[in-house]
Amino acid sequence: MNARRSMLFVPGDNPAMLSTAFVYQPDSVMFDLEDAVSAREKDSARLLVFHALSLPAYRDIEKVVRINRLDSEYGLKDLEAAIRGRADGIRLPKTDSADEIHELESHVDRLEKECGRPVGETKLIAAIESASGVVNALSIATASPRMIAIALAGFDYLVDMQTSRSGGSEPELFYARAALLHAARAARIDAFDVAYGNVDDDEGFLREVQIAKQLGFNGKSLIHPRQVYLLHRAYAPTEKELEHAKKVLAAADAAHRNGKGVVSLDGKMIDPPVIREAEEVLRRADVA
Amino acid sequence: MKITKPAIAGTLESSDLMVKVTPNQNGMLEVVVRSEVIKQFGKQIRRVIDDTLSKLEVSEGTVVVEDKGALDYAIQARVQAAVLRGAGSEKLNWEQLS
Amino acid sequence: MRPQDAPHEIEDVWRLLADRQLELDTRVEIFVLCRTKGRLIACGGLDRKVIKCVAVAPEYSGQSLSLRLGSELIALAAARGQFHLFLYSAPYNRELFQGWGFYPLVEVPRLVLLMENSPVAIQTYCDSLRSKRRAGNPIGCAVLNANPFTLGHRFLLERAAAQCEWMHVFVVQEDASTFSYSERFALVAQGIQGIRRLTLHEGSDYIISRATFPGYFLKDKVVVDHSWAGIDLLLFREHIAPALGITHRFVGTEPLDTITSNYNVDMRNWLRDAPSGAPAISVVEVPRASINGRPISASAVRKLLAEGDFDAIQRLVPPGTLKFLQTKYAAALAAGGVERA
Repeated sequence: MNARRSMLFVPGDNPAMLSTAFVYQPDSVMFDLEDAVSAREKDSARLLVFHALSLPAYRDIEKVVRINRLDSEYGLKDLEAAIRGRADGIRLPKTDSADEIHELESHVDRLEKECGRPVGETKLIAAIESASGVVNALSIATASPRMIAIALAGFDYLVDMQTSRSGGSEPELFYARAALLHAARAARIDAFDVAYGNVDDDEGFLREVQIAKQLGFNGKSLIHPRQVYLLHRAYAPTEKELEHAKKVLAAADAAHRNGKGVVSLDGKMIDPPVIREAEEVLRRADVA
Repeated sequence: MKITKPAIAGTLESSDLMVKVTPNQNGMLEVVVRSEVIKQFGKQIRRVIDDTLSKLEVSEGTVVVEDKGALDYAIQARVQAAVLRGAGSEKLNWEQLS
Repeated sequence: MRPQDAPHEIEDVWRLLADRQLELDTRVEIFVLCRTKGRLIACGGLDRKVIKCVAVAPEYSGQSLSLRLGSELIALAAARGQFHLFLYSAPYNRELFQGWGFYPLVEVPRLVLLMENSPVAIQTYCDSLRSKRRAGNPIGCAVLNANPFTLGHRFLLERAAAQCEWMHVFVVQEDASTFSYSERFALVAQGIQGIRRLTLHEGSDYIISRATFPGYFLKDKVVVDHSWAGIDLLLFREHIAPALGITHRFVGTEPLDTITSNYNVDMRNWLRDAPSGAPAISVVEVPRASINGRPISASAVRKLLAEGDFDAIQRLVPPGTLKFLQTKYAAALAAGGVERA
């Protein structure tokens, strides 16, 4: 499984961007049918995304579609287009409760059967954009075996909290970030940090990335291609970390080949979590 | 599908195309394409459009396309969007769209 | 943005247009504006089916902003139910608007170019006209507003038909007159009964319409921009006349209405005298029919209508028109007269 550090948002009504996003080599692309697309263009964008999903360039990149909410007139149609288009995952905006995931899942089940896809193949990502969502993060994260990640959407969340971004250490996001992370870890799925809106401010972006990385976020929602490279570089392990990880994995490999149940390195026992961490480090080393 | 009213889809921006469909009084299907790359890709563009229209079973109408260097997938999508808008159709038959 | 909703924005538009040597056309119903950091850098206006007042600040005159503006204008027009669009451009901007999917229709050299957003619309129209072509020479044509149809119109058409092997009559299609197009057309159809070798045609966007001759519909009938008339007349000469084989255009002399009398002068200029790839068309001015020394005209009838003087009207219009007017204004008649306009 590949790392999931970067999820690049691509407006679903823009053919130029839809066909070139892969060039920046994000871990995931998110074709957006929701906020990026005006009401007038929803139907046309849906078809663009449906077709873009089949582009050979995206064969090896995880493809996620952000559909409109199911209670809108667009949501179900978006979902059908995404599933028939063989998207890898669906991102549900403004998820407030586990019930919404259950509802989404029942539609996904049905659609997979209708179009002959293996049931369970399409994954789900919940975007949490409100106080309710944050408070319900754990139940949302565990609402379905299809869940692979939860993402914090900063702007709408802060509006719901009646405050706004302060820059710097941002106490206003602290609880939401912490809650999301705990929910993700308990559910053993990925956690995504908020998108950074100021595309001209690399320093501010990197500062935020450091915070997210330190807190333990797997990755970040990105709204501009240039952020992909910056993020990957920031998440890349140091030489030392990389060396160590390689040693750990070599030891695990040797133990496995020799039929030994216990892995040891430099006289110390290596537990499975350490091995998993080493694998993660190696994934993050893939920068270029 | 039958085009019963005029409709457009797409934009004039690079890598996109603007498609306009109108009902055809004479019961014919007329397709006109203008593209900056008409020499190199004219045939290809035309083929994708014809293919898309025939899958949608459009046999009558006037289709005017202003191409700005769109890839095949975008041509399919915009032609389909224009036809669906022109047919006033809500229900999508996915077999016709793939 | 609607002009009436945002007077302060209109000032910015006016300034941008003036900067590009363009005038603000007050008939624009809705504008698309593009601002960056509060500064207006591009604008375009829509007057029903005509795109006007397009300007882009020079620093942004590369392709992509203009294409974005064009996309928005066309989509806006579509949302308002307008799919067949026209556009007036300075001739040097021809390529720019070709990039918007517009095709040249007719040009007054070095002055103004009329374009439409279809490569085939004018051809399709002319093909349908061609199917109604009649052999012979001379072939005549008249374009009537007929607001309403009077004995003066009848006289003109009788005289014209007598001089030609066939006569083609068009009715101006715009609903911009006292009487609607369908009313006017019906009265013409009724009023021409008995005149042989004559075909009555529906009006179109290509003959005296808001698209081809906006000046004709100005309420303030003082200034006639001669280049506007040129567009309408060149379109007639280069496309419509050849499709029907028209050799002569008939008009009534116009002593009462300035804008129409100026149009008659323009007619001779553009249809007959101006250099063009298309053959010259003779313009024949038929003296107005008159009663008691006064020429019969639709405007005279409208004045009498305002006074409720149906006795006088009866002398000026055929029975069909009279009956229509009486029926339409029956209530006013009963009340003892029509309100003065």
